[in-house]
Amino acid sequence: MPSIRTIHTPDGFRDLYGKVRKEKIQLMGRLEDVFASYGYEDIETPTVEYFDVFASDIGTTPSNELYKFFDRDGNTLVLRPDFTPSIARAAAMHLPEEAFPVRLSYSGSTFVNAAEYQGRLKESTQMGVELIGDGSADADAEILSMTADALKASGLSEFQVSVGQVEYFKGIMEAAEVSPDRIEEIRQEISRKSGFVLGELLAEERIDPAIARVLERLPGLFGDAAVLEEAWALAPCARARAAVEHLKKIHALLSERGLERFIGYDFGLLTKYNYYTGIIFSAFTYGTGEPVARGGRYDRLLGHFGREEPAVGFGIYIDQLRNALARQAQKQPGHPLKG
Amino acid sequence: MEDRKRPITIALTKGRLAGKTLELFEKCGISSAGAMDKDTRKLIFENEERGIRFFLAKGPDVPTYVYYGAADIGVVGRDTILEENLKLYEVLDLGYGRCRMCVCGPESARELLNSGETVRVATKYPNIAKEYFRQRRQQTVEIIKLSGSIELAPIVGLSDVIMDIVETGSTLRENGLTVLEEVCPISARVVVNQVSMKMENKRISELVQKLRNALKV
Repeated sequence: MPSIRTIHTPDGFRDLYGKVRKEKIQLMGRLEDVFASYGYEDIETPTVEYFDVFASDIGTTPSNELYKFFDRDGNTLVLRPDFTPSIARAAAMHLPEEAFPVRLSYSGSTFVNAAEYQGRLKESTQMGVELIGDGSADADAEILSMTADALKASGLSEFQVSVGQVEYFKGIMEAAEVSPDRIEEIRQEISRKSGFVLGELLAEERIDPAIARVLERLPGLFGDAAVLEEAWALAPCARARAAVEHLKKIHALLSERGLERFIGYDFGLLTKYNYYTGIIFSAFTYGTGEPVARGGRYDRLLGHFGREEPAVGFGIYIDQLRNALARQAQKQPGHPLKG
Repeated sequence: MEDRKRPITIALTKGRLAGKTLELFEKCGISSAGAMDKDTRKLIFENEERGIRFFLAKGPDVPTYVYYGAADIGVVGRDTILEENLKLYEVLDLGYGRCRMCVCGPESARELLNSGETVRVATKYPNIAKEYFRQRRQQTVEIIKLSGSIELAPIVGLSDVIMDIVETGSTLRENGLTVLEEVCPISARVVVNQVSMKMENKRISELVQKLRNALKV
């Protein structure tokens, strides 16, 4: 008998073969076709990067969930937990000024050393794109319509891309003159959609009642295009109004492409990763409790690598997407879609 | 998305909380035929007409069911939500199941607690305890995880203090323990899966609004 260590894969890692592997390759092929049809060019970056590329001020994964090790010189290396910082690094390093705007697509494994027993893969496949060097609403709309087209091409018929704008919240915080550590607490309550705790927090902080009313509305400020009008009416300052204007522009562009039924807006969609600077979005569907894709604008990320370029992109979680597709296919008419 | 046949699944915490919550749903006109029956061995109860189904789970499992989308909505104590620390939408404070998360021990432990020395804490809530002592008190602690009758730990010398929920404090008093510090207030909360909130927004919002109204009556 071989020992357990020689025949089993470690927790969170697995073999894929036969029909399942074939389906995964087909799915990835369909997404590649969508990326190519938008004129995106594939880029390969290494699986291993210096820790600094994913350090806390840049990365989206907490340090204790990174797979870390040392090279012979004692530098800390990590297995990439996601692609965006790697792509930003590579673009800043290799591409000449005149190459921008540049459209890059990627595909490969990412590694997150998450807690045990969560039914989570530690190595998972991600595919995505980055549009670097274009800060316009058109660029945002291009990325959003690619997300919708890619999910359609994957075989999903019912999904929703929920779009937020972090500038709206940042604008309100500026108008309310809240201290930075309080901003984080308020942000957390809003992104948990927890209106009642938020109310207490705002009262404690003695925020201007007019602005507090806007903040208390934020957890519920999501839905179809109508919510853009409400957000506009609520906006207490020019910066927040500009954020809504920006989304309206994107909405018009997406409507031209006939994609509005897949898009929703959520002004309470915020994130603790300070690298997002404009739109931020998640794509949801039935059959999985987590988003199948995520993305947003991160205009300051390339600056960390020595070049100032605006950028926007998204990543699709292939394994989540496959789960969702499999569960939706199992569905008998009239039966629940719950896994 | 308009398919009314897809039921909204609600996970309830077994025990007192479930009883109160089912009563509240009853007030909203949503009966859960059979779920109140204590002798039943059925695990899941469906109200087909309303397109809602309920199941009962152990407290710490409720956030897990909701997080993975196996349930759209969960009703669970804030203590469990804090301890499990999963990304969920917390949309309503039901106001019942009220108690306090406290650090308790014999009066003699108060000095040790404030001395800055390493304290041994027994608890069902290791994550909350770690967060509280490290972040809020900036104190080194040894945490011992237990699954019940936490009050026993300081009496038999397993730990210096305990962290647990306190309702009336009578169990503490009977065992010569007292509340040394209050950590935070606790009550039953309604949590929602982040995907369900978007995909089934209308039905879930209506349901939450009904519950909110029923609470005011």
